[in-house]
Amino acid sequence: MKYRLNMRSTLFILALAGAALFGFSITKGQAEAGSPGVVLTGSVYDRQGQPVEGAMVTIQKPGESIPALKHGEDLADLQALTQADGRFLIPILEPLDGDLVLVTQRTHYKTIETPLGSAVVTKLNAGESISLADVVLVHQISIAFWIATLIFIMVLVLIALGWLHNTLSALMGAALIFIFSYLGPIVNKNLYIFSFNDALKYIDWNVVFLIMGMMIVIAVVERTGIFQWLAFKAYKVSGGRPWLLLAILMIITGVASAFLDNVTTMLLMTPITVQIALSMGISPLALLIPEVFASNVVGISTLVGTPTNILIGSYARISFGNFLSNLTPGVLIALIALILYSLWIYRKELKTDTDEEMMELLMEKLAKQAKITEPVNLRKAGVVGLGMILLFVTGENFHMLPSVTAIIGATALLIWIKPDIEEMIESVDWTTLVFFMTLFICVGAIQEVGLISYIADWIGALVGKNLVLAMLAIVWVGAVLSTFIANIPFTAAMLPVVGFLTGNIPGAESKVLFYCLSVGSAMGGNGSLIGASANMVTAGIAERAGYPITYTYFLKKGFPALLITTGIACIWLLIKFL
Amino acid sequence: MTGIVCAIRGGPHSQPTILQAISTARQYKIPVHFLYVVNLDFLEHTEQSRTHVIEQEMRSMGEFICLKAQIEARREGVQANIVVREGNVAEEIIAVCQEVKADYVIIGRPKGEHENNLFDLERLEKFKQMLETRSGVTVIYSQGE
Repeated sequence: MKYRLNMRSTLFILALAGAALFGFSITKGQAEAGSPGVVLTGSVYDRQGQPVEGAMVTIQKPGESIPALKHGEDLADLQALTQADGRFLIPILEPLDGDLVLVTQRTHYKTIETPLGSAVVTKLNAGESISLADVVLVHQISIAFWIATLIFIMVLVLIALGWLHNTLSALMGAALIFIFSYLGPIVNKNLYIFSFNDALKYIDWNVVFLIMGMMIVIAVVERTGIFQWLAFKAYKVSGGRPWLLLAILMIITGVASAFLDNVTTMLLMTPITVQIALSMGISPLALLIPEVFASNVVGISTLVGTPTNILIGSYARISFGNFLSNLTPGVLIALIALILYSLWIYRKELKTDTDEEMMELLMEKLAKQAKITEPVNLRKAGVVGLGMILLFVTGENFHMLPSVTAIIGATALLIWIKPDIEEMIESVDWTTLVFFMTLFICVGAIQEVGLISYIADWIGALVGKNLVLAMLAIVWVGAVLSTFIANIPFTAAMLPVVGFLTGNIPGAESKVLFYCLSVGSAMGGNGSLIGASANMVTAGIAERAGYPITYTYFLKKGFPALLITTGIACIWLLIKFL
Repeated sequence: MTGIVCAIRGGPHSQPTILQAISTARQYKIPVHFLYVVNLDFLEHTEQSRTHVIEQEMRSMGEFICLKAQIEARREGVQANIVVREGNVAEEIIAVCQEVKADYVIIGRPKGEHENNLFDLERLEKFKQMLETRSGVTVIYSQGE
């Protein structure tokens, strides 16, 4: 008990390293208690089997009260904090005496007191290290639980109703969480949610840097005029046949969305599409709505195609190649069905009302306008893009995270084309990055207080061990909910839930449930006008061209598209994974 | 230079406004200035404020919409110009009226309750009064928009 801290810390680290080497197996003592090397180890999990980090584990006499550890305070003897993997290791530096219990406590969980038993104490005193059975902590509902839950719901509502900018909504949520965590305990200690340092642990930096890197690449590509050129080529190739033009435009939009973000794709495709449609004398909506459908659906075929896939890929360690091989075939089938569906619903609108002279004059203007404006940069972006795809696909062999590939690609492109760096940095949508960071904090808060655990328990009880039921539930609940609420916060909140189900349902180890989440959350975007940001920007531009897209109009066209594509993707996943 | 300023947005609802402008221009033998105002307010609530990306594309789309109207006007023997601006629609109409010393402004009267429509009936009437006071133009309504 009289050892100084540095000595204890050194011993602890040595013991931790030793224990790690031997996999925390029970080791036969080579020394008596009080000698270096005798340790009591164990692991702490929550009810979903997820490791609990930061739980304080103490050997003490029954009924003794231990004050909670304050920030920066040192651990006492016979005390340890669990690590990220839930493990703890208590060095036994002096012989133990009498009846002892192991007390495990952590904010937002019920404290557990486990008797050590005389046999364990005797063994430890004899110099034998012991590994205990896992400790399972159960969340407790406190005021903080309700506050974090209400704040999260408030963020969702603000985003859904558009009362505040998405980023401001999430930022406000994070700020409120910190206000309650830091100032709340002055009034009532149960108002504490988590500290700033704990909140930072919930931010997935892989996601943030991947999005940032891709934004720089997109900023270069979008200036080259490639979209306008492609759309005009589509018109040329179609030979003025609207049905063929529609199919080609859907494919172009879909493929572009698989590698770039959907919003940028639709921002660039919509104005040129409106012009082509007007030249041909057809309603622009007959081309725009199918394009946005394709963008939402085909985007999920790659890791970088949608923000939800980036979230899912990073959380579940699903690689670029895995997304391609497991989702792309199903997505392509869904795209074919979507093209047929679009041709059917717009069969009347796709009949041209051609005024030859006007069409000629308008096409002349389009031909002048739809040119590659920066051919050299486009070639360079193409080379770097191919290199990035190669690294995305093979990167997992070198344990290279997608964010690293994105940063390397973006940097290489910037060095090669030497753009105005200020302009390029301005092209990074920092508000989106702040949105993701603050959203992670809001989701972290509901995870911390246990809301996610309760949802996981509830869904777990509902689907039991039935993988098919779990797949169907995640795909369809995801699709329907993403129709009405923003799919990014929904997906971020669902990740730990799906993680729990993956660990508990036989057959789900293939990560199929994460693919289901990807399908549901992205394809749900087609269900309503507010289901995806790409829908909103398309509607915004169309409205400014005199072709407003109302909520009802989109719902009528989009909801059947959702049912068709989600149904096909669902069947594909069932065939692929069962 | 005098003439008619005709603010259009494109689409079938703008057609009566365009026809009215052409017919008035023919009647008074003055040119018509088709005006399209790029307004990017719709990007405000999305997670990406990509105004730098879309601005040029919207300008091209505006020019295209006005070009279509210009072709129609020329067919009727009316001289027509294209003006594309960015910013607040009302302010830009006033600015263009002053620049071209317009005699008339033709704007569409809304048929129904359009969401986010700048020219709902009440505001349209106020706008008409303001425009006539500030620019000395005569405002003519057309059914549409």
